[in-house]
Amino acid sequence: MTAFRALLRAETRLFVRDRVALFFTFLFPLIFILIFGFLMGDVDEPEATMGLYVAPAASDEILRPILDASGLDRVVDLESVADLHSAVTDRAVDFGLTWDGEALDFLYHPNRVQENYAFSQIALGIADAFNLRRQKLDPILPVTSIHVGSEASTRWFNQMIPGILAFAILSSGLLAVSGHLTTMKERKTLDRLLVTPMPPVALLAAIASIRLVVVYASTLLTLLVSVVLFDLAFSIDWLAFTLLIFCSTLGTMGLGTVIALVVRRPSSAGNVANVLAMVMMFLSGIYFPIELMPSFLRVVSRALPLTYLADAMRFATGVSDMSFVRFWVIVASFLALALLLFPVLARYVVRPGRR
Amino acid sequence: MTDVLLVARSHLLTALRERVTLFWFLVFPVFLLVVLSLVFGRIGEDGGITFDVAFVSFDRTAGGFSDAIEQVVDDLATPAEAGAKPLLSLRRPGSDEDLAEFLGAAMVDVRRGRLAAIVAVPAGFDQSVRARLSPTAAPEDVPLTLYVGSGNAASGMAASILEQVFAGVDRAILARVGRFDESAIVPHRTTWVGSDERETRYVDFLLPGIILMGFFTNGLFGIPGSILFSRDQRVLRRYWVTPLSVPRYLAGLSVGHLTLCVLQYAILYVVGRFALGASVSFAALDTALYLVLAAATFMAFGFLIASLVRTATAGMAVANILNMPMMFLSGLFFPITGLPAFLTAIVYANPVSYLADGLRASVGVESGVFSPILVVVVPLGWIVVSAAVAAWRLRWDVGR
Repeated sequence: MTAFRALLRAETRLFVRDRVALFFTFLFPLIFILIFGFLMGDVDEPEATMGLYVAPAASDEILRPILDASGLDRVVDLESVADLHSAVTDRAVDFGLTWDGEALDFLYHPNRVQENYAFSQIALGIADAFNLRRQKLDPILPVTSIHVGSEASTRWFNQMIPGILAFAILSSGLLAVSGHLTTMKERKTLDRLLVTPMPPVALLAAIASIRLVVVYASTLLTLLVSVVLFDLAFSIDWLAFTLLIFCSTLGTMGLGTVIALVVRRPSSAGNVANVLAMVMMFLSGIYFPIELMPSFLRVVSRALPLTYLADAMRFATGVSDMSFVRFWVIVASFLALALLLFPVLARYVVRPGRR
Repeated sequence: MTDVLLVARSHLLTALRERVTLFWFLVFPVFLLVVLSLVFGRIGEDGGITFDVAFVSFDRTAGGFSDAIEQVVDDLATPAEAGAKPLLSLRRPGSDEDLAEFLGAAMVDVRRGRLAAIVAVPAGFDQSVRARLSPTAAPEDVPLTLYVGSGNAASGMAASILEQVFAGVDRAILARVGRFDESAIVPHRTTWVGSDERETRYVDFLLPGIILMGFFTNGLFGIPGSILFSRDQRVLRRYWVTPLSVPRYLAGLSVGHLTLCVLQYAILYVVGRFALGASVSFAALDTALYLVLAAATFMAFGFLIASLVRTATAGMAVANILNMPMMFLSGLFFPITGLPAFLTAIVYANPVSYLADGLRASVGVESGVFSPILVVVVPLGWIVVSAAVAAWRLRWDVGR
């Protein structure tokens, strides 16, 4: 127990002094939330501003009420077609519309490649409604949309936060072994510790304890910031959330063991872990939905542990649904990984360094 | 001259032999270019995305409007031509299946992201539409129902497309019964503002950004890594006992760094052009000069970091911390508008923002955020400041 306490103290100091580990565990999720929150926080409800030019000879009697009901944030009236072109070019408005009494001409900036799709959908709706109202007709096929799912998950950014938390857990777990332990091995610190009465289990327990506490604190801080700054709602199942963090941190440490064993040079293990974490981040549906990927990338995505960890975290934070069985299978799988690989990790700790 | 070239060769070979360096400088930019193009480049394109959708009709009126809706949905699930992908991949209830149970199970799948949407035709739908068409009957409100997943981007897109399709069906029915005059339809046109008069493809928008990202990571990690590790491992100290001077070492490092940038550019351009169909052209003198300016700016930035830290480990930590915020707050991957003041200040101080804007402008994908003068002056300013700080602070030996 004394050895464990001493190691715990040493590991805490080491972690606090390790600026990169601190950054990736605490600041990285926060920076991402700040950037993506302000950039994409309203991606589900784009606040589109439309520039409008109505020719003097044309009447806007029918058009105005349709624009008012179209979900546009603002309509800016402009004096001429040239002014409208300038406004679209200078991004004073998001897109434009001219009505000369004969045709509706929608103007777009060609380089707003990620936004024009949404603007064009609004434009199509305006054109459809305009044509019906002009002939004094109402739709005969009314369509109603019913949103299915948790109320907390109505914004894409809500779905992104648990993904970022999952990534923080993965990096922390992987780097605890393939980074921290491998560096200790390379610097012969492990060899020195092994000639003391320290049991390897105490070292692993100290490292795992620090990671668990830090990851838990980091996820709570990230959730708190996202709630306070971006008014996001989560419905956290605390038991599921806590167990998921516990099992996934240990499980990802197990995965880190695999990397440490496969990669020949201990110092390269951290780099490989970083590379794998980054590749997984882009393919696990954290920053863009898996459904938008081509089918072969979806297959790759389904083979990655981060995909399941992110799904389970979304469930535990109440932003998306999955069956209880599936959730607990994911949690149990991470725990099984830990149970299976921690004895291997213990052997790795006591094994003499490779030449 | 030979010593300069030898240092350049050494820098280049070290980078190419180190697998991690190769990954971050060459493989990762290519990976990102391909993945982002495959994901975002297909949005809005015909056959780009196939949505998993369920269809269920509770209206048993034969030959009525519910059948017409079913036919439309069926058409959307049929490829437009052989080998093409349909818009919808359709799930329907079996002939003996309970419809309410099917809908319940489908709703669970929408909630869990396994289905993008459900189109449900409610009982009494046909009668309701007929009543709407009748000038005398009071129609009951029995709308066609779309079930969409909360916060699911694919679901939102599928719903938006289906709503447009049903609006088209609406007009077709009204036209068939003679109430909507199709000849009186006001046409709607699309105009692209600017010189090209066509929409920029996503890969054309992305490619200059990814090239800059490659240059940026190369400068941010490559230069401090090369100098600081060589200094910490006392390799530089051995250089200084040879006739190699610091300016000639710097010249060699710069040549090696710029050669690596050329290699990055060539690989990314070939992948973008030939694998992803990018049409953006870099074959102009001003573009080439601007690429050199970008590479030089990031190189100078690398020198700045090397001069501000004491050890290689600290240098890599600082580079890691700066990497993501500088890349994402620059418009390399997506537009940066509507940010709060403190993030806008970072965008305006960030040299990557100006270089991204300037490079896109020089290849005709202008975003027009910064003036043409600023996109040259600000990076030049960064070069001058970084070089000055590096000249003042950079230590060339651990012992000094």
